[in-house]
Amino acid sequence: MGRDDAWEPERIEEGDGESRGDRSTSVASLASPSSPPTAPWLVWLIGPLFVALGAWFVTASPLPEIPLGTPASVPPGSLNPVPFARPGADLPEVVIGGYDHRCNECHRFFDSPPIERRTLTQHTDIELEHGLNNRCFNCHDVRNRELLVLYDGTRLSFDQVPRLCAQCHGTVYRDWQRGTHGKTLGSWDAESGRQRRLGCNDCHNPHAPAYPPFRPLPAPDTLRMGNQSIAHAHGARHEPLRRWSSDGAGHGGSVRHDRTGDHADPNAPLGGKEHP
Amino acid sequence: MTTRIWDGPSAGDAPTTRRSFLRNSVAAAGGITALAAALSPLRELAGQADFSVAQFLQKHYKEMSAQEMEAALERIRSEVERRYEIRPHVRDIRPQAGVEFVYALNLSRCIGCRRCVYACVEENNQSREPQIQYIRVLEMPRGTLDLEKGNHHYDRPTVPDASHFYLPVQCHQCANPPCVKVCPVEATWQEPDGITVIDYDWCIGCRYCEAACPYWARRFNFAEPSVPADQINPEMSYLSNRPRPKGVMEKCHFCLHRTREGRLPACLEACPTGARKFGNVLDPDSEVSQILKTKRVLVLKEEVGTLPRFFYYFDERYPRGLDPDAAPIAESLGHLPAPDDPAPTEHHS
Repeated sequence: MGRDDAWEPERIEEGDGESRGDRSTSVASLASPSSPPTAPWLVWLIGPLFVALGAWFVTASPLPEIPLGTPASVPPGSLNPVPFARPGADLPEVVIGGYDHRCNECHRFFDSPPIERRTLTQHTDIELEHGLNNRCFNCHDVRNRELLVLYDGTRLSFDQVPRLCAQCHGTVYRDWQRGTHGKTLGSWDAESGRQRRLGCNDCHNPHAPAYPPFRPLPAPDTLRMGNQSIAHAHGARHEPLRRWSSDGAGHGGSVRHDRTGDHADPNAPLGGKEHP
Repeated sequence: MTTRIWDGPSAGDAPTTRRSFLRNSVAAAGGITALAAALSPLRELAGQADFSVAQFLQKHYKEMSAQEMEAALERIRSEVERRYEIRPHVRDIRPQAGVEFVYALNLSRCIGCRRCVYACVEENNQSREPQIQYIRVLEMPRGTLDLEKGNHHYDRPTVPDASHFYLPVQCHQCANPPCVKVCPVEATWQEPDGITVIDYDWCIGCRYCEAACPYWARRFNFAEPSVPADQINPEMSYLSNRPRPKGVMEKCHFCLHRTREGRLPACLEACPTGARKFGNVLDPDSEVSQILKTKRVLVLKEEVGTLPRFFYYFDERYPRGLDPDAAPIAESLGHLPAPDDPAPTEHHS
């Protein structure tokens, strides 16, 4: 009985609360499970829903997983700093019968007609595609094949190729001297002493100097730069964070490195790479 | 006047019935489950090997003392060692005095082979899956510099294509960088040598800077970056190519761990045509200074006032008016009046 007495004032207060609750929204009364007038079926609906939702949140992975494919990498050797490194570029040698020979070991015995064009019986691997400059002895010395020759008869060694090219390509030579044409390796600081300026024939084949076409490395397949037009082509909606492979298989495709065909020698431009 | 004293769960006007007990139990279970669900991301955090209190308490890059920086570097070393089983060489490399870096790229020489893109990925430990690439090579129709007409998905058997030119875009290291202005936590700033850097431990991943960049040069780690252990570049620095966590921005930093020691950026070294030039613009004899003096130079989106340190230039390969490609291109764009037409008179001044 004492208990009832103790809670007597409480009842009055609750009554006040109840009347305030009536004026407020019904949601507030729904939220309080101790208020009898709420519809119990709603609680029975929402309670298990919360439980199921919570269980799903806990058991399921909390964050959406982005599917992983094969890591992107480039074929080894495709990032060589010297585009067409040619061993022994300064030292003309030829391998005959398994032995290295200097050019003049033979050529001091054989004369060549200096001006006429003729079909070569040797050096048939050389394809001369240098525009109007289509005579061997425009650049090679007719007497000493281990030297080059300028138009005025000055002889040059093979490490002085830029001077030879400068006879015709004056503007490019000027740019090369300034460093605005060609490639410098080692350091950006000229005073460091570590700079190495590549010469003309480090990048250009002197017999066919036009730059050969290259196989490009794969297009970006990054999350935001992936090819969305492929997704559109397959009727999918725009999803910038999802990768699409071109076969329309959807996300998670790996990077294809063979889309340009043979990558056995990835650095190889198509034709004209081999220096004689 | 009344004081409520909690007197057990059944206190109140409603006595405990089977119905109210079950109802309360369901509500309590739902509440507890919802709380657990809300806290469940913490499980992932706790399971993450890279999360450490030391990283959480680490100061901003500019506020760290030498000892604190050494501790941070040591933490990075041990994290890299744990993840990739190699001992990296992590340093904090400061800018050189009297140096302001500038990049120049020869649009007449670039052939769009994308060697630079992958050299950058290898050098800077960018995520291989999902891919992150700092350099985007745009294939542009000849005769226009409208970036909207560029396409970075080009996939040809060979490049270059005769009717296009190629425009690689990366961070321009602007002298007036909008990305720095919008960062709410100062996690990105411009260094004295002109390189805009990011403190990956301070970045909160809001991506404001990505939105602010007019060159689309910033990249976000939407997922945990993955780099094969055998492809990790162990030469790292705090502000450049150390491994990044998920949820932070990254971008080109001119390979500052190389260039601040006098070396050249990786993209430049991989370029097979010599189209890329890098150097100190404060040195009047440097290659980039020579380019700025003697070549026809342009910057992208000059009108937005970002003052980029990344310049594009052309070679004049033919005397003016004698370029055999110029006339057909101009005609295809409708820029040249036909020989019979009078000069265009629509221009109003």
